[in-house]
Amino acid sequence: MKPILELSEVSKSYDEFKAVDRLSMTIPQGSVFGLLGPNGAGKTSSIRMMIGITVPDSGEVRTFGESFRREHLQRIGYLPEERGLYKRMKIGEVLVFFAQLKGVSQSDAKKRSQYWLERLELTQWTTSKVEELSKGMQQKVQFIAAVLHEPEFMILDEPFSGLDPENAMELKNILLELKKAGKTILFSTHRMDTVEKLCDSICLINQGRGVLQGDLKQIKSSYGRSSIQMEYEGEVDFLTDASLVQSSNNYGNYVELKMQPGVDSQHLLARAMQSAQVNRFELVEPSLEQIFIDTVKSSKVVASNA
Amino acid sequence: MHNTWLIIRREYLERVRSKAFLAFTLLIPLFMYAVVILPSKLMTMKPSGTRHVIVVSDNAELAQRVAKEISEKKEDKDEPKDDDAVAPKYTADVEPSKSDETRSKLNAQIDAGQLDGYLWLPSDIVATRKFKYYTKHSSDFVETEAMRGAVRMALTRQGMAVAGVNEKEVQELLRRVEIDTLRVEKGKVSAGGGLMGFLLPITLMMMIYMTVIIYGVAVMRSVIEEKTSRVVEVLLSSVSAKELMAGKILGVGAVGLTQMMIWATFGAVIGSPIFVAAKSMMKDVHLPLAVVVAFPVFFVLGYLLYSSMYAAVGAMVNSDEEAQQMQWPVLAPLISCAVFASMVVRTPDSPLAMALSMFPLTAPIIMFVRITVATPPAWQIALSVSLLVATIYGMVWLCSRIYRVGILMYGKRPTLPEILKWIKFA
Repeated sequence: MKPILELSEVSKSYDEFKAVDRLSMTIPQGSVFGLLGPNGAGKTSSIRMMIGITVPDSGEVRTFGESFRREHLQRIGYLPEERGLYKRMKIGEVLVFFAQLKGVSQSDAKKRSQYWLERLELTQWTTSKVEELSKGMQQKVQFIAAVLHEPEFMILDEPFSGLDPENAMELKNILLELKKAGKTILFSTHRMDTVEKLCDSICLINQGRGVLQGDLKQIKSSYGRSSIQMEYEGEVDFLTDASLVQSSNNYGNYVELKMQPGVDSQHLLARAMQSAQVNRFELVEPSLEQIFIDTVKSSKVVASNA
Repeated sequence: MHNTWLIIRREYLERVRSKAFLAFTLLIPLFMYAVVILPSKLMTMKPSGTRHVIVVSDNAELAQRVAKEISEKKEDKDEPKDDDAVAPKYTADVEPSKSDETRSKLNAQIDAGQLDGYLWLPSDIVATRKFKYYTKHSSDFVETEAMRGAVRMALTRQGMAVAGVNEKEVQELLRRVEIDTLRVEKGKVSAGGGLMGFLLPITLMMMIYMTVIIYGVAVMRSVIEEKTSRVVEVLLSSVSAKELMAGKILGVGAVGLTQMMIWATFGAVIGSPIFVAAKSMMKDVHLPLAVVVAFPVFFVLGYLLYSSMYAAVGAMVNSDEEAQQMQWPVLAPLISCAVFASMVVRTPDSPLAMALSMFPLTAPIIMFVRITVATPPAWQIALSVSLLVATIYGMVWLCSRIYRVGILMYGKRPTLPEILKWIKFA
């Protein structure tokens, strides 16, 4: 499948600070792609270069198989993390304005905004000013503004933040629909649970560098079933035993851990039962969160060693 | 181009439809009415009340003359006629005794409100030409001027009488002189001097000055609003920073021109009765074609120059409060224009006026003032405008680079070295 977006060796510095450092990634058409990283990892800086808000110091951005051109922006939708709407404009007008900037005619923009406002149950607010709406409703309006021009490629920065569960569900359904219609979606987030359920492939960045990327299923299976989820009551002091456990994430009465290579899971279970009552013990693929934490940790180690 | 047009349209429509625009459009003419018409109405009103003063002198003849000068309106006074109209009427009595009791008695009367003041004329006043005026209204310069004039006139009359000139001849010699100021330009002579010849350029100058500031600040606030509400990030995913800044400046500028056009129409329609009311003031008014053309031209040039600077300031800051401080470097040259304007009106060809009309930051206003007063040589206008246009070009380039980086920067206010870096790397 031809890639919708390619970054090759893209770098961007602000003064001494390297926001993005030789980052490369490829987003195939029709995929849902997760751009993951802790806060300040360079997600927003990378996105800004994808849509020409800033220009990379070096490296190349290619969109739709060509070198990036501003005309491509009409085919890209962007939902920034920091939401922004004109507070004193009416909902209907603000949507038409943003759609027109993306090259949609006024009449089309009106029709489509009516459809979307109805779909997201905002019709009665069409002539209200943005400032009269609740945060959640503004969020939905912002989402409509990002999809009104029916972009082939959507960049959504933390799309679920600030939405209640009901609206988050609705948004998820819309995204799945858009995916089915062949659209490509880039998610930028630090919330692993949503990515895990929605994304086909991911790129994990930390301190401006790509530290892990590829097909999500492959990544998870490459980590093998060396991870254990355990529910327990009592003491789990064996977690600190480096000969058994490589890393762990302890929630108090629930723990996710990764065994050292070659350790027998039954041995570990026996060890656990010595000090705790084990209610559940399951050998699983590691959660994305676990991979994320491990990778970020090890990339930090690499960075500090270097 | 299409994007810039959409930005212009939104900026224009949002503003023109706002209540603030309506209020402003209505209030400014009302304000102008209050400033131009009310004084002329007030001038024709009878001065209310009379004031009572006492002339204290041991020279009875002089005292009588002074009292007469004060209480009688005369055509031979040197002050402008109009000022006579606003000054109150006076009655004056004479007090020959210059004792300390008189003084304390008169002071008591002033305190009691029975007396407005007294003139204390020393015995050697003919030689020293000095006297004291005791009054409650010591800050009423019109009154002190009237008293001074009255004593001077009385001394003159008395001196002439002593020299043997008869009363009728004295009257004739002291009669008021009328002046008619005419403007000579390119061999043509036209009316337009005097007070109005001063007020008209100043009024037009103030209009350019105010609109440049008002709409420059509007651009700045609009930039700040987009920045703080983070709309700018959404906009930049569709339009370039250059298109955005251009659209903003042109859109707000179009609102300014619209407002001026409404006022002009407004003035033309309701204007005629207004000018009848202010006829005595307006009779010397004439607007040469050069001024009519220069007004919008210099407004547009001044607006472009300053609004681009205001846009850059807006991009640098994070709030209106910060902007208040940061806009001073922009405001300073504008304010200096207002300070120098009256000097330029009086001496439009002085080296300083010439320099200010060439310096691009002051040229939009000072060159315009010079054109309204006395058309400067064509080469000067051409040079001034070319310098200005070149500066606008450079300034827009510079400010767009600051703008481009600034609108995406949040948090700490940038230092000067940082801004220089923005310009370099944008």
